Amino acid sequence: MSKDAPLAKTGDLEFDPVFLNARREAIVIFLIWLAGLLWCVPCCYLLGFKENYNPETMKTILGVPSWLFWGIALPWVVADVLTVFVAFFYMRDEHLDVVEGEQE
Amino acid sequence: MNVPIPPLGASSNAALLTFTVYTLAVLGIAWLSSYLRRGKKFVSEYFLGSRSLGVWAFALTFAATSASGGSFTGFPSKIYSHGWILGLWIGSYIVVPICAMGLLGKRLNHVARKSGAITVPDVIRDRFESPQFGLLAVLLIVFFMSFNLVAQFKAGSLILRTLLEDSVLFDQTSVWFGNAVGALGLANLTQFQGPEYLLCLIAFGIAVIIYTTYGGFHAVVWTDVMQGLVMVVGVLIMLPLAINQSGGLENATREMAKMTPPVPVRAAIAPEEGAELTLSGGTWLALPETGDVERLFRVHTTATIDDSSREVELLELTAAGDIQRVLEHNPADAVRRDVSFTIVESSPYAYGDGKQGVYVSGPGPSLKEASGFLPLSLAVSFFFMWAISGAGQPSSMVRLMAFRDTPTLRRAIFTVAIYYSLIYFPLVIIFCCARVVLPGMDLESDRIMPAMAVHLTDTINAGWLAGILVAAPFAAVMSTVDSFLLMISSAIVRDVYQRNLNPKATEASIKKLSYLVTLVVGSAAMCGAINPPQFLQDIIVYTGSGLAACFLAPMIYALYWPRSTQFGCMASMLFGFGAHLSMYVAGIFQNNSFFSPYQLLNLDPILIGLFASFVFGWIATVLGPQPDEQLVQKYFYRSKTQDAPAAS
Repeated sequence: MSKDAPLAKTGDLEFDPVFLNARREAIVIFLIWLAGLLWCVPCCYLLGFKENYNPETMKTILGVPSWLFWGIALPWVVADVLTVFVAFFYMRDEHLDVVEGEQE
Repeated sequence: MNVPIPPLGASSNAALLTFTVYTLAVLGIAWLSSYLRRGKKFVSEYFLGSRSLGVWAFALTFAATSASGGSFTGFPSKIYSHGWILGLWIGSYIVVPICAMGLLGKRLNHVARKSGAITVPDVIRDRFESPQFGLLAVLLIVFFMSFNLVAQFKAGSLILRTLLEDSVLFDQTSVWFGNAVGALGLANLTQFQGPEYLLCLIAFGIAVIIYTTYGGFHAVVWTDVMQGLVMVVGVLIMLPLAINQSGGLENATREMAKMTPPVPVRAAIAPEEGAELTLSGGTWLALPETGDVERLFRVHTTATIDDSSREVELLELTAAGDIQRVLEHNPADAVRRDVSFTIVESSPYAYGDGKQGVYVSGPGPSLKEASGFLPLSLAVSFFFMWAISGAGQPSSMVRLMAFRDTPTLRRAIFTVAIYYSLIYFPLVIIFCCARVVLPGMDLESDRIMPAMAVHLTDTINAGWLAGILVAAPFAAVMSTVDSFLLMISSAIVRDVYQRNLNPKATEASIKKLSYLVTLVVGSAAMCGAINPPQFLQDIIVYTGSGLAACFLAPMIYALYWPRSTQFGCMASMLFGFGAHLSMYVAGIFQNNSFFSPYQLLNLDPILIGLFASFVFGWIATVLGPQPDEQLVQKYFYRSKTQDAPAAS
């Protein structure tokens, strides 16, 4: 998607920084989703999908089955931390135009 | 009391009271919203809140709209039926806030401001200066959302009926109402679902239609905030009570590990001399077995046994722990041992029957699917479903166009992340505990949320609290219905009438038309729900995933790819729609049902739709004509000399 526009760039035009920042942030966010997919699903599958699950030897962490702890609960906390990072330290603030007559 | 689940009586009056207070509150909000609207541009205020949402309003309206009624009825029911695997089913909620708001939020808001767009079709139309593309978007939104709206009205009425069904006042009112309807010669209106359903539908429908019509976007947002708070408070009250009742989470999980799925059976009651026998739903029947172990059965729905009909549907508990808990928590005379019966037919679980450990491991027990509840391919599909398809919902997109400034967006992402963390994983815990606390509800798991709310609050002698807890599900449905209603009417008023038919319409006539259309669409959906379609949850899944398959790829291309064109994006939208629909149509041939779609490569149709939409949209764009330079300049470039002032 990063192909530039087939635009004969006249010297006094440049890419709108809001567009560039938003696109960069969207790519990072997509990678976070991908990381989530690659962590949660294989982790739960490898640790938690068993044909014959023996209730006696089942491991739990804080009362949660251990596969779910490592596969969902822990990445949940990590994802929240990443969300905080992206929201407060990575995303830029931009100037957004005010549409005439809409806001006081 | 002859069942472990207490009758909802006392707390249903609390539910009735809550519903009344609630309705009055939302109507008050609508009035306030319309009062404050004076002096603002009508269309952008009514449909978009003048792009002025602050953090709390934006975050909670976003969260509450996407948490439809399913979160508080279908989801708890699934947790109860399949166990801990639901943690993986909703796994992608770990990234839903940042994906659904962050992928498109800033750029969509930016582009919408550049052209003054108020609706999602507006954005699409302006971005390519293409009325026909805008109309295609309107068509798809109206198509999908109308179906969804009917289904949501039904969901709302069913929830309300469940909550109120044991309230004496409600029973009397519905009997009176049924007679009144009959007296008016409209008796056939109640024949589909009974007078209780119709009464709930009308009460729920009228409340939602009035406050949405009268209050517009701001009323919808403010009621969403209230509803969002009700939901999270409800969950946070239930969590410690549920853990405590099940003897600690560790204990609950250990007990679940020993559970084997119950077996639904049909039984024939042995003849008794001439007497009629009524078995009410929820009654426990015991069948003596050799040794000191009893077999325990729960009556599914109330049945009258006489000479013409001797069969009754039962659910047999198969786990020793469950049987023991039922016997312990019920007085000795609550379990009937005087009814003798023989089992005619049993239909055990297709996956998990007789196996221990299925409730604490993947893929989870399933009554119908031999591959289990959530095999690997479906787990992958659901990771796309919530996070990616959540980003593609037009009802989410329109909210992304409404926030005030980028600090609001950033703080709202954080707020929603915390909000979802407090709701979704705790719900899994609460309703896993429910398996231990209230065994035997597998055939009526749709009632697990109110049943659990009532049970938990009874244990601490706070029946009134149940009213607040059971308010959460209808809060969730209401907040979804109102925003969909407004989406449809904005598509018609703004995108069809104002922009195509009569661009010079005066503000006053647009205003009248907006009220009228919202009222008519809402009433039509309500009438559609009088004889509602079956497959409630399936319709909601079909329309939700269909909208994502149609809108996500074109929107991403339009916002982030300067090379994108009307030709490419329309192709993307149509291929997404077609690919997704064809999986469902193929389901008719393969599974004899539109609603059990063909799963190409074992994947959910949403993945096929998204894939087709992205790939064919890309191909069509690259092979198609070049974009209009004026438009590319307008939306992607700025002049170097113009220095934008820093954001506040």
